[in-house]
Amino acid sequence: MKEPDLDYEIKDQEFSAIGKRGIRRLDGYEKASGCAIYAADIKLPGMLYARILASPHPNARIRSMDTASVEAFSGVRAILRYDDPEIEEKVVPGSYGAPWYVLTGCASWEGEPVGLVVVGESTQICDEALKLAKVEWEIFPHVIDEEDVLKPDAVTLHDKVPNEIFDSSNVNNPYASAFSGVFRIAEGRNIFQKGDVEKGFAEADKVIEFPARRYWHTWAEPELPSALCRWNGGYPELWIKHQHVYEHKQVMSYWFDMPMNKITTHAPYQGAMFGGWNWMNWSTITHYITALLSKRTGRPVKLVFNRRDDFYGGALDCAVHHFKVGAKKDGTITAVSIRSVFANGPKAWEPHMGIGHFLENSCVHNLYKENYAGVVNKGPVTAVRCEQLPNTFCFNMVFSHVAAELGLDPTEVALRNDGYEGKDTAYLAEFKRHYGKPERDSLRECIEAGKKAINWDEKWHLPGTEKLPNGKMHGIGFGWTHEWNSKRGSGSVGLLFEPDGSVSLLAQRSDVGLVAETAYCQIAADELGMRYEDVVLRPHKDTGFALMTPDGSCNLCTNGWVVRRAARKARQELLEFAANGYQEKTLSSPPAFPGYQPEDLDVKNSVIYVKKDPSVQKPVKDVVREVQCVQWWSHPQIFARGWKQAGSWTDPTGKASEQLVDYSKRPHLCRQAHFMEVEVDTETGQIEITKVVNANDVGKAINPEAVEGQQYGGTFMAASRGQTEEVIWDKGTGVMLNGNLLDYKIATILDCGPIEPIIVETALGYGPYGANGIGEDVADLVASLLGPAVFNALGVAVDDFPITPDKILKALGKI
Amino acid sequence: MSTQSKYVCPYCATTFDAFDGLKAHVVDEHGTMPLPRPHGLINLSVNGQRYELQVEPNTTLYNLIHDQMGLTGVKMFCDRGACGSCTVIMDGRPVLSCMTLAIECDGKTIETAEGIAAAKHPLIETYVKHHAMQCGYCTPGFVVTAKALLDKNPDPTEEEIREALSGNLCRCGTYPQHPKAVAEAAKILQGGAADERA
Repeated sequence: MKEPDLDYEIKDQEFSAIGKRGIRRLDGYEKASGCAIYAADIKLPGMLYARILASPHPNARIRSMDTASVEAFSGVRAILRYDDPEIEEKVVPGSYGAPWYVLTGCASWEGEPVGLVVVGESTQICDEALKLAKVEWEIFPHVIDEEDVLKPDAVTLHDKVPNEIFDSSNVNNPYASAFSGVFRIAEGRNIFQKGDVEKGFAEADKVIEFPARRYWHTWAEPELPSALCRWNGGYPELWIKHQHVYEHKQVMSYWFDMPMNKITTHAPYQGAMFGGWNWMNWSTITHYITALLSKRTGRPVKLVFNRRDDFYGGALDCAVHHFKVGAKKDGTITAVSIRSVFANGPKAWEPHMGIGHFLENSCVHNLYKENYAGVVNKGPVTAVRCEQLPNTFCFNMVFSHVAAELGLDPTEVALRNDGYEGKDTAYLAEFKRHYGKPERDSLRECIEAGKKAINWDEKWHLPGTEKLPNGKMHGIGFGWTHEWNSKRGSGSVGLLFEPDGSVSLLAQRSDVGLVAETAYCQIAADELGMRYEDVVLRPHKDTGFALMTPDGSCNLCTNGWVVRRAARKARQELLEFAANGYQEKTLSSPPAFPGYQPEDLDVKNSVIYVKKDPSVQKPVKDVVREVQCVQWWSHPQIFARGWKQAGSWTDPTGKASEQLVDYSKRPHLCRQAHFMEVEVDTETGQIEITKVVNANDVGKAINPEAVEGQQYGGTFMAASRGQTEEVIWDKGTGVMLNGNLLDYKIATILDCGPIEPIIVETALGYGPYGANGIGEDVADLVASLLGPAVFNALGVAVDDFPITPDKILKALGKI
Repeated sequence: MSTQSKYVCPYCATTFDAFDGLKAHVVDEHGTMPLPRPHGLINLSVNGQRYELQVEPNTTLYNLIHDQMGLTGVKMFCDRGACGSCTVIMDGRPVLSCMTLAIECDGKTIETAEGIAAAKHPLIETYVKHHAMQCGYCTPGFVVTAKALLDKNPDPTEEEIREALSGNLCRCGTYPQHPKAVAEAAKILQGGAADERA
């Protein structure tokens, strides 16, 4: 099977939908009017509810459990115990396909779903019944602070309990808890090194050492998680809140040993999804549980989580870092060494976690990273918008400290160190020339646009030197990195001309609010020559076509290719039909443009015309119209399929090299620059973010309002990540103290000053039209930009996130 | 042995031999229609439709509107009165339906996002136009809060809009688009044309 080359770029291609403002978003009316349906909204006739027992202890195992009173409770219809013969020792694929237990009797954090599921007529009945379970717990010691794990005199978990309890990667381990995340909890150390940091420090004019910390924070997605299954006389039908809906069909097939084509999956709108819940194994396995219990009870079963349940899970950057950086007087960084202790994470992947952006984004030669994973009894950590948080955090910290300590403008320090894997920008310029990419300096363009917007040349000052008339200290910070991400993902779509000339994109998607479906229709419309209004994505239909999910900001950079391929194929088929008609034995559909060849024709504004004489034209709807649908088709519908695995960037010059085949090694070419202005009250410690400028090189903005939405949204999420978001535990009991949205503060409309979004378009991305992703960069990088801004205000570093007023006052020596 | 039924007044326990006697008694003495209304029976108007409903004492207004009436514009986000996603307008004021017992809503008039949309209020189109949404889960709550603001203050300043919406949480962070959408809806309501573009 060989695909024709459909990935070519068209020089000076004209667009009527792509890149235009004012395109009406497909999901707009439904969402504004309250008609949009989410999995949490769905209630089926006769539906039962399910709840799981939450462990009251942070580290414990069930010795015995008496559930007689639970089963006898009025309104309870079924229970599922961890020692149920059907699931005991049963290992199934969880998120990422990792094998995992369905339900066990072990818990690694307070609140962990463990041991018992109750099905009843209401959630209240289930919760009341769960209280009646008589559980005898074997309780182990617990640790809450990741640094405590590494202290020589610490009471380590290993002293008290068998070593195997931590090895959750061993699925035969009787101590493994069922619901740990895909990033398995395990102790360990990883070292990454490049070059010679000691040599780099020796070359430096100044060596700087400093600590920084990011406390535990979480996703707090608005729609509460749920899993709903109706067992339809032998086969499951599922309503899924998840980024990877189609994968549920696959794992359900494996779990129940049944063909995928018997399983129905629905993907309603998703009440936001920032990774997080999506990567918890229980986001997948709960569907197995509801399917099993629906099968047993003969009624639909919906397993629901409450707000507190959804607080157990953190981001990958919950860590303590110790930095040592060498730099020359002009800001050239000669060496970076970082020793980090991550809470519960990430032993098993990316040893350069935290130093990755120096590799991908700078010419710094000498790098050293020492990562420890400290096992704490808080729950798993995972990508929460997103896995690059540790990288952007460390990158921001190093650049802000180097600039501040040397008294340099941080934008100049950035430009001086820009590059790729130790090579400078001359290498990147040569790469762009060689592969026919535009020869533009993305970082310089972003910095210049951002500096102008925030009036940097007038406002930037040395740290701690600008007192405002209102008595507060003025601070201004700058941070930068490369583009997101376009390196992974695959998708497929069907494109169908309906008998009235309208176009349906057929696919199952996962809408988390990125305006992605609208963008696909913009691409399809322009590539087909149809009006945008004539193209619609048929959302969340169980078609078998699965679009790339909103992951890693790879959504549009995958699906853009996919839709474009389908549209280009369908356009060709449309013109062939217009020129040649359709003949099959006795059936004949005459051509709409007799005497012309397909290449003589073109399509624009949903009208087919003769290129040499545009007055000869017919609307597409008249060309493809069927005499009478279904009962009497006059010709087969025009249909095309698109598929693509992202990362396989097509080299427009035909000079494809090994470097491009191994797409993980291709250099990032686009840059992002962010600026933040703050006022810090030195009496109260209060910080006010007075302005933020996001200058993002997105390569090509397919839907500019969608890009701006990500810039605004990422900044607001970052504002509260930087200032207020911290999940707090009681160290003595290991119990979470603020698992609700009253005590865990996310940003309101009043918590950030004006935001100025700037879209830079260099076409240097690896997506179609030179585009790249925007979904995660802002929320990642701006979250730690508060540190440089506060440093600039006070002349004292307060890199202890979230930066709360008490930490400001402590740094100033006032408390 | 024959038995004689007695009819007992539920208010004062006076007994009567005939039902008509009891009926006359409760009207004359207790000023109510023949018999007291069953506990939990409420009358309310939702989006212009009148309802007479029997509700449980622990049923919240959110449960009633979302689960029983099927109006999905009220959303459960924070679960405890912290986010504004379940906001409805009750007798002109925005209230949190998750924190309001349905049994307390007898005689009330309620508007939800669905009613606001059905009445073709310009907020719906300005919210679409200005992309004042991402995942959309909290959006109806914002629309309802904004409608309540415009009902009371037809020409709010940006500061007043921000203040009015400060009780609504949006995790996607769409906040900067809301004042634009609300201000344009206010302008349309005052007879002005929609802005050319977002």
